[in-house]
Amino acid sequence: MRTDIVRVYKDVHTWVGIISGLALFIAFYAGALTMFETPLERWASAPTTLAPPPPLTDTQQLIDATLAAHPEAANNYQIVVATGPEQPARMTWRVRKPGEGRNGGRLYASSLAADGSLQVVQQEPAQVAQLIDVLHQQIGLPFEHEISMPIMGAIALMYALALVSGVIILLPTFVQDLFALRLGKNLKRMWLDMHNVLGVLSLPFHLIMALTSVIFAFHDQIYDVQNEVSYHGALNQMFAIGEPSHTAPPDGARPLTPAELVARIQSQAPGFEIAAMTFSNHEGALEARVSGSDPRYGHRAPTSGFASVDPYSGEIVARDFLPGQQDNWSATLTGFFTLHFGSFGGNPVRWGYFLLGLAGAFLFYSGNLLWIESRRKLERRSGAVVQKRSTHVMANLTIGVTAGCMAGISLTIAAAKWLPGRVADVGA
Amino acid sequence: MKPPAQLRSEDWLGKASAGLICGFALAIALTGLFAWFGPGGLMHSSAKAQLNMWLVAPIWAAVLSVCFLFRSGARAWSWLLFANAVCYGALFAGRWFAT
Repeated sequence: MRTDIVRVYKDVHTWVGIISGLALFIAFYAGALTMFETPLERWASAPTTLAPPPPLTDTQQLIDATLAAHPEAANNYQIVVATGPEQPARMTWRVRKPGEGRNGGRLYASSLAADGSLQVVQQEPAQVAQLIDVLHQQIGLPFEHEISMPIMGAIALMYALALVSGVIILLPTFVQDLFALRLGKNLKRMWLDMHNVLGVLSLPFHLIMALTSVIFAFHDQIYDVQNEVSYHGALNQMFAIGEPSHTAPPDGARPLTPAELVARIQSQAPGFEIAAMTFSNHEGALEARVSGSDPRYGHRAPTSGFASVDPYSGEIVARDFLPGQQDNWSATLTGFFTLHFGSFGGNPVRWGYFLLGLAGAFLFYSGNLLWIESRRKLERRSGAVVQKRSTHVMANLTIGVTAGCMAGISLTIAAAKWLPGRVADVGA
Repeated sequence: MKPPAQLRSEDWLGKASAGLICGFALAIALTGLFAWFGPGGLMHSSAKAQLNMWLVAPIWAAVLSVCFLFRSGARAWSWLLFANAVCYGALFAGRWFAT
């Protein structure tokens, strides 16, 4: 490796590192915690006043009673198959005002009381996991989503550049430096050794995170450009290929009951554990989307895969997101999401990603320390008694942002448990 | 033989802007070629269209990573513009022949 190339990439590494390091620290620390999104939600959920959910076999009565009393639920409701503290109700639906998004509006839940009468409550799901997830995606930038995401995309690009440049710098002395951990008086040497060994050993993880994050940040813009340049505007037609057609059911057809549906789906997708079924109404025809998981495969979403089901016959009509039943194209695509989310292999992988995420946060922290330490050395050598302002500011920021991020998240989690429902809307 | 000219840490704006802008354009052209002439053809599936979008990230990041190897911003721009011209030429010529 030519030394001039190494020198140039050392400068690149320093600059992209110092610009993006603290942002990446927050993203990784919060991201590591999102690995335990579901347990966190379960733990933070306030006890419900709702009667225990009826068994799946009696759920049709619950649906009929609910739709009779609340016809507005008929357009879109969810039947939860795997109920638990974080999802205590068998049936939920959202009532949105015009303009409210997918997770907006009010969430209602229903159950049958012991005497068989209908019970309806407004649900307040624990939002702490959601808050940490948004913090992970946007590191608390005080802007709209549309502005925050391109900023995060730029950070992800710098992160990719930092990885490549870091490897180039290390290449000439790769073997002697990799497994040397020189603990001792030379602080900078010690931090550098740790930084190197962590960076190299978790390089595949970091490359995945950098490239997938670029996509998560810029997908809309990329689609728009590709649609114009490559597809002469036919992108939406492409997305519709393989979509189940919205055909009306035969006259007099009756949707299957939830228990029948679950049985039909399980016979077509053995091993797929159904979490919930969402029903929507398209001009009189009911359509169903089923979410669930299969630990043998990767999942498109952080905790689940999906299938579209014909609610009248119970037949699975779209397998693009169904774990283990995708074609090669869809499976490859799901692979990208899965590798970012760590949504494969169950708990061992979750713990692995959690530790890799924390190690990543430490990697960025140690990078900042190295920058500060190098500057201090240079300044001392040049005889300065006081630190330069930039070094001073960066040192304070490094400690403040990292410690503040950890303390803030910890306090938020604690508050979610002990002060549930005290704040009407904890917007992120 | 003359030793190769030394690379220097200068003209970052020129090099990085070339990597950022030409790299993105190049990624769009290459994924366009894959969309049209890769396995399955253009109207293959929703999944292929999505995969095409994903392929932009590694190409873009790769170009952005190597753009500092050019000796100057002007050289980076001219080489990357040339690469773009070749790829877009292939894309539009191929489309013209295919339709």
